[in-house]
Amino acid sequence: MSTDAAAPTAADLSEITEQVWTSYLDPDGEHPLLVAPPVAGPDDVFAAVSISGAWRGHVLVTCSPGAARHAAAAFLAMEPGEVGEDDIADVLGELVNIIGGNVKSMLPTGSFISLPHVTTNAGARTHFPSAVQVCELSGTWRGEHMSFSMWQSEGERAEVRAA
Amino acid sequence: MKILIADDSRVMRQIVTRTLRQAGFGGHDLVEAADGKEALAKVATEKPDLVISDWNMPEMTGIELLQHLRAQGQQVKFGFVTSECTPEMQQAAEAAGALFFITKPFTAERFDEVFDPILG
Repeated sequence: MSTDAAAPTAADLSEITEQVWTSYLDPDGEHPLLVAPPVAGPDDVFAAVSISGAWRGHVLVTCSPGAARHAAAAFLAMEPGEVGEDDIADVLGELVNIIGGNVKSMLPTGSFISLPHVTTNAGARTHFPSAVQVCELSGTWRGEHMSFSMWQSEGERAEVRAA
Repeated sequence: MKILIADDSRVMRQIVTRTLRQAGFGGHDLVEAADGKEALAKVATEKPDLVISDWNMPEMTGIELLQHLRAQGQQVKFGFVTSECTPEMQQAAEAAGALFFITKPFTAERFDEVFDPILG
């Protein structure tokens, strides 16, 4: 939390996600996020917040529909089968908001975070014009893929495909 | 006591409610607001004893809400539960009269530590 902090790293994302797992997704310590290489195939669920001002870019959570359903169930203290699409969208939005808010605390003073944006339909695409990925934490949770990444606005055009 | 929970996230309002219960504060009356503007109106109509507010909300932010309340002479107990935590924000919160600053994600233990002196 300083004015000249370097961009957050995968280790920072790991520390933040550990707190999220302890508080909401795995309070009993039975289902940790297991770090694993990014999957070759696409994810179907995207949640993002944008950061503007002194640091410009995006914080992105992508995951399989199964992981999104388990996350919604854990956040809302429901059974996975009881979770609706609105629950999934709201929970993924809150999840990326928590990750993004904590990341923002590591960025230079004068950075601002947007409200979250969530896409849950397969086949959608999320474009980050002129942004490149600066770090990613990828893993499996309950056998389902989840990824947390940061994208910094630069001269290059980057694209994240949902399908 | 009556507690007003102000957060634009339905999920987070539910989690705050559940965590209050887990921390042993389930017996209080709870009311909710989906943004700062609605919270400002509900402080007037519901007359809560405590406001637990998010920082980043549409319509009116949490710090703007607190500043409006204090400008009106409203001295309701007030604090923040937010995913953003910078020294500047904490200083602004304290200067405006906030009693606490809880960072998301939070645990029931953290709620107990903060709210026991207020609600205990």
